[in-house]
Amino acid sequence: MLSRVANNLIWMNRYMERGYSVLNLLKVNYSAHQDSPDLFPWTPIINNYCGSDSGFSSENSIECINHMIFNLDNQNSIINLVTRSRENARSVQEHIPRELWLGINSYYLYLTKPELPNKLYQEDPVVFLDRLLNHQLLYYGKIDITQERGSAYYFMDIGKFLERVIQISDLASMKLKEIAKTSDALERSFLWKNFLLSIGAYQLYLKKYKSTFQEDFIIKLIFQEQLFPKSLYYCVNKLSRHINQLIQTNELVNNDLEFLLGKLQSTIQYTTIESINEQGLTNFIASIKNDITNISLSINNVYFSNQS
Amino acid sequence: MFILLNIYLLFIKIKVLIIYLLTFIKIHDNHSIFIKFDKTTLIVLNMQNSTLFSSYDFLKDTWDEMFSNNDALRKQYEIISNYLQYTSPEELSKKEELSKQLFMHQGVTFTVYNDEKGIEKIFPFDILPRIITSKEWEKIENGIKQRITALNLFIKDIYNEQFIFKDKVVPANLIYDCPYFLREMKGVTPPFDIYVHITGVDLIRNNDGEFYVLEDNLRTPSGVSYMLENREISKRIFPGILPKCNVLSVSSYPDILYKKLRQCSTQDNPNVVLLTPGIYNSAYYEHTTLARLMGIELVEGSDLVVKDHVVYMKTTFGLKRVDVIYRRVDDDFLDPMEFNSKSVLGVAGIMSAYRKGNVTIVNAPGTGIADDKAVYTFVPDMIRYYLNEEPILKNIETYQLGKPEDFAYVKKNINKMVIKKTDGSGGYGMLMGHEASNEEIDDYFKVVNKNPAAYIAQPILKLSTAPCYIDGKLSPRCVDLRPFALYGPDGIDICPGGLTRVALKKGSLVVNSSQGGGSKDTWVIK
Repeated sequence: MLSRVANNLIWMNRYMERGYSVLNLLKVNYSAHQDSPDLFPWTPIINNYCGSDSGFSSENSIECINHMIFNLDNQNSIINLVTRSRENARSVQEHIPRELWLGINSYYLYLTKPELPNKLYQEDPVVFLDRLLNHQLLYYGKIDITQERGSAYYFMDIGKFLERVIQISDLASMKLKEIAKTSDALERSFLWKNFLLSIGAYQLYLKKYKSTFQEDFIIKLIFQEQLFPKSLYYCVNKLSRHINQLIQTNELVNNDLEFLLGKLQSTIQYTTIESINEQGLTNFIASIKNDITNISLSINNVYFSNQS
Repeated sequence: MFILLNIYLLFIKIKVLIIYLLTFIKIHDNHSIFIKFDKTTLIVLNMQNSTLFSSYDFLKDTWDEMFSNNDALRKQYEIISNYLQYTSPEELSKKEELSKQLFMHQGVTFTVYNDEKGIEKIFPFDILPRIITSKEWEKIENGIKQRITALNLFIKDIYNEQFIFKDKVVPANLIYDCPYFLREMKGVTPPFDIYVHITGVDLIRNNDGEFYVLEDNLRTPSGVSYMLENREISKRIFPGILPKCNVLSVSSYPDILYKKLRQCSTQDNPNVVLLTPGIYNSAYYEHTTLARLMGIELVEGSDLVVKDHVVYMKTTFGLKRVDVIYRRVDDDFLDPMEFNSKSVLGVAGIMSAYRKGNVTIVNAPGTGIADDKAVYTFVPDMIRYYLNEEPILKNIETYQLGKPEDFAYVKKNINKMVIKKTDGSGGYGMLMGHEASNEEIDDYFKVVNKNPAAYIAQPILKLSTAPCYIDGKLSPRCVDLRPFALYGPDGIDICPGGLTRVALKKGSLVVNSSQGGGSKDTWVIK
């Protein structure tokens, strides 16, 4: 496979994964904001995705959703993410199933319909967001049933899980800042619950730990759960498997990739709750983010070193 | 008892009558479906959907593809016309809308850049097909094959021995003055002596019903994806009609193309790639489609590298040798070391690899020389010179004002002529005889008189018209035809069909997509 194509595949999926996580977050925060605007403000979300110097500031739910979906100056607006993902897909059409291209193209066409932004102001925003989320889910479904399990699939999955790890750790540090602001036990439990919802881990948490929101259990679920596709452990495990597969078939140069992945895997797997608490969750997340950035850079380096 | 029997018999009679009535209705139903076509039924049918044909006003002195001079339907259009009679304008408008959506959803678009923001547009499509009979097609096919064979021999000749100059059939200075002549190609022999692998000859049908060659397009002709895509759309909007009309399939084009590209390499299992200028090129959709349908890699200039006169592509496995490049990048941008040094679309050193015979470039560099306006007038002479045959397809008649008898003829018939400078392009310095005032004509001839040899004249073209579905009615619009020919070691193949471009503006002769042109599906029927 062309190196450029591998890069296109990684980024096609990274942008889609980011879109999925932004939309989930918008949906969860919209509902939470209805309950308690003070506890679930929009500003941290906007700042996380647009930077604190974006010049946009509002606590109006619809305005914020509009900014996160349609604003062309916002690098992480859904419309920009889908446009870029589609651009990547467009130049690798011979490597992805036809269904996938048609799907991402119709998602793009739907988003760029001139009358769509008005609907956000007229309709129930949850219905509106669900419609976009459906496009995202269709995208994953199409990959699942039509994409050949070969190097293209592995590169796509690398994009997906890299981005997911970054999203989960970003979201975790964002929520931790909010949680640190309050000492009220009830408020803290609301915030923890909201964190679970934003990641999509709420249902599993209830099933496993029932309706008692304890910090330790939540950390265990989101960081160390082995079989949950939105836990860091699971994502890093998948990442490592696919990267190793590509290294074995000589499609990816090892460099320090195996080492970096092994280190991250064991950090996540073997750090006990006690030692996480000891070093502080914020620091723990910061070190994970640092590791994943290095892995992402290392993959990019492999790609660029193939260029010459 | 007797009464009962009577009632029973009556009951049977009624039953028979009902069955009889039912069959009767059935027979009549059949009749209305399979109507035989003659002029009277056409008139009857016209009344059923008269609005559709109501304002079909023919262009003067112009061949119409659907109707002959006395308003009679041409035979090849009978089935589709019958279909139209039974389809309401609302239904047709729905089909038109469906075709637009199909193009958008498949991403069959080109991007127009305005204020740095790209807007994706579709190439307008007219739902009604243009139909060509097998007899007409046979002549087109033979004519194009003959023409391309001669043109290929001509290109080979001028880059090698140049017999055609020595025999004074074509003047040498005409070639050396032409910017498309590549000195870098002198003495280079491409595999199997094939230079023009892929061509899209532009034809027009004049008011005498004959096809004439307008341009040869020997460089990187585009539009073939629309030939394929338009057909897919036709299948959707006219279900069942194509088999009824015995339309020849065009879907094997990518297979034939791949076969020919493969054959151009001397390697056992050659790596064939398609080189695109990238996503900002207006034909990018076509590049992705062809690569996808052939199952080959779509590469950009930066994906390729030349090492020791061999072209490689940069893959995740490392470098992989490339044997055949179907390039959609112009000569100028192909190799920054030899041509335009600012080009980032090409590959440095690719020409040296080509000269060593390590890679086949399709079409060969330098084919533009045979595509030139001035060279065009000599193509019939080339056919006679190289093949010793009479041209099957005519050139548009061209008068050299340097010849006194031509000059006299042009002067006499100026209101039917267009005069062009031989070295002019883009429509500058032209005189359109039918629009110019007497004063303008006199002034123009004063200039011409100084050096008549620098001018040529051609009759003003009468492009044939075909019905288009516009605002709920059928209206005649001018069309041309671009069939695509593939030249490989095993000969020339032409897909039965092509791109019919249509000038959607009323009375316009300009079919270019940049100036309000659109396209139609082209049916060649058995």
